[in-house]
Amino acid sequence: MAGQRYLDNEEKSVIIVMTSGPSTPHRCATPFYMAAILASMDADVKIFFTMEGVKLCQKGVPENLTAMAGGKTIIEFMRDAKAAGARFYLCRPALPGYEMEVANVIDEVDEVSSGGVLADLILSCDKTLFF
Amino acid sequence: MECNGCEFRPELYYDDQYQIWVRIEDDGSLAVGMTDISQTIAGKILHVRVRRPGTLRPAGKPVATVESGKWAGPVPNLFDCTIDRANHEVLDNPALLNMQPYDAWIARVRPAKTTEEALAVLVTGEAAYAGYCERCRRDDIQCKRRNN
Repeated sequence: MAGQRYLDNEEKSVIIVMTSGPSTPHRCATPFYMAAILASMDADVKIFFTMEGVKLCQKGVPENLTAMAGGKTIIEFMRDAKAAGARFYLCRPALPGYEMEVANVIDEVDEVSSGGVLADLILSCDKTLFF
Repeated sequence: MECNGCEFRPELYYDDQYQIWVRIEDDGSLAVGMTDISQTIAGKILHVRVRRPGTLRPAGKPVATVESGKWAGPVPNLFDCTIDRANHEVLDNPALLNMQPYDAWIARVRPAKTTEEALAVLVTGEAAYAGYCERCRRDDIQCKRRNN
C-alpha cells in the first residue's frame, strides 16, 4: 500500500517488457528504476528488451542517452537495476530490424533469447509490465 | 579519516563494496546504515522502507530499500539475521542518511548465529580503509553532504 513504512511483501516474479527506445528517451529511465525497487523488495525481476527497446542494449547508445537534460545516463539506470538483481534478456529476432548484431551488445545483457523465451516468461511470472 | 571527501570510520564493519556499515550495539543487536559513498551515489534520499521487525532475512536478502529521485536500490544484508527494529527518525526524515550517514542507522538486526560469525564476512579497520579508498578512486567518487 502507498506510504507503507515496512516491507512485508512476498517474493514475486516480475517481467518487464521494454519496447521503448532512443526515440522516446523520457520513457527509458523509469522502467529500470522500478526494476531496481522491485528487485530490492525480493522480486525476481527480468527485463526483456524487444522492438525498439533492443537499441538500449547496443554499445554506445545507453551511454549517451538521458531521460532528461543533464540527468543520469540510461546505462547508469540499467546498472542500478542490475546491481539490485535484475536480469536482462535481449530479443534475438528483433535485432536485424535495428541492424544490430550480438557482438555489439552491452556487457550487461545476460541472455540473447528467442521470442518463445518471452512467451514462457510471461506465462510463468506473477506480474508483467510493458513500457 | 576520509578519501576523496568521503568520511570513513575505522571502528565500523563494511561490506566489500562499502555500501553499508555495521556497528555492534550495547544490547547485542547490530546497527546497519549507509556509507558516505552510498549516500553520495544515491543523492537526496526521499524514501526508506525496512523489512518488518521479526522478519528473518537470509544472507543476500536486503534489510531495506532506499529511493532518491535518481536512484533506487537495496540496503544489502550479508549474514542471516532477524530484523529487530527500524530507525523511525530515518523513516520520518530519510535525508538524515545524507546529513549524518554514520549516525543515522537504518535498521537493527540480530544475527542468526554469533556476532563474531556475522562480522566475519565484513571488513574493518586498516583493511577496510584501503578498500574504501580504492573504491573511491576506482569509481571516481567525490562525496558530498546535504544539509536538508
